[in-house]
Amino acid sequence: MPRYELCVILKAMQRPETAAVLRRTVETLLERGAVVRSLESLGERRLPYKISKHDSRHTHGGYFSVDFRASPKIVSELLDHLERDIDVLRPTLLKKDPELSQTHCCGAQAEEAKSAASR
Amino acid sequence: MFALSFSRLLLQALPKQPVTPRATAQCIRSLTSQQEPLKKGDMPIKMENPYKTPPKTCILCNITVDFKNVQLLSQFISPHTGRIYGRHITGLCGRKQKEVSKAIKKARSMGFMSVTLKDPQFIKDPDICGIKHFE
Repeated sequence: MPRYELCVILKAMQRPETAAVLRRTVETLLERGAVVRSLESLGERRLPYKISKHDSRHTHGGYFSVDFRASPKIVSELLDHLERDIDVLRPTLLKKDPELSQTHCCGAQAEEAKSAASR
Repeated sequence: MFALSFSRLLLQALPKQPVTPRATAQCIRSLTSQQEPLKKGDMPIKMENPYKTPPKTCILCNITVDFKNVQLLSQFISPHTGRIYGRHITGLCGRKQKEVSKAIKKARSMGFMSVTLKDPQFIKDPDICGIKHFE
């Protein structure tokens, strides 16, 4: 199953309410047969620009990242569900690409070019 | 014109003799001395070039660029307008410049990074790009 990362910005709320929102988000994921790997909090910060969502303008928000594995079929349903949630300001779903090998970075490339030229 | 033809006449008049090579001191040395025997221990030792220059790397070599790392990405944007610096300013290699550019755009759309300005807490960061702003 491909790996996805859900970076979600929630409305600035009290701790129990934030917990409730996260709980129902993860439950939605599990209902649709996703395997949640981790749920990280990236802190509550001031938004870089004012976001207007669900009839109100927001300046602060809580950033959370959910790492999970799921089938590609649930992607569109999930995004639709999150857009309708009043407490979620900006849901973004990304596909996690397999890590590119670090050996092909600048230094290695230059060396390869030199050795190819000298041959 | 007259002088030229006169000199030519003189040259033709002189008897043509075969020119013998002059025996100089260096010539004699090579003809008479014996060749020194080649010593086996005198051959150059095969080793890696000790004066090799280190491979050219850009500053982000072997560093993963992530859209969540807003501080790193903010070092490649203008503090006045928030525009992304070009390759000739950042000095990054093609691959890394593309990664940084994509990450900045991703962060902007996801609500991690501002579009028109640089986050005030990152303005005091050390200058990587070395660009001189109008002062």
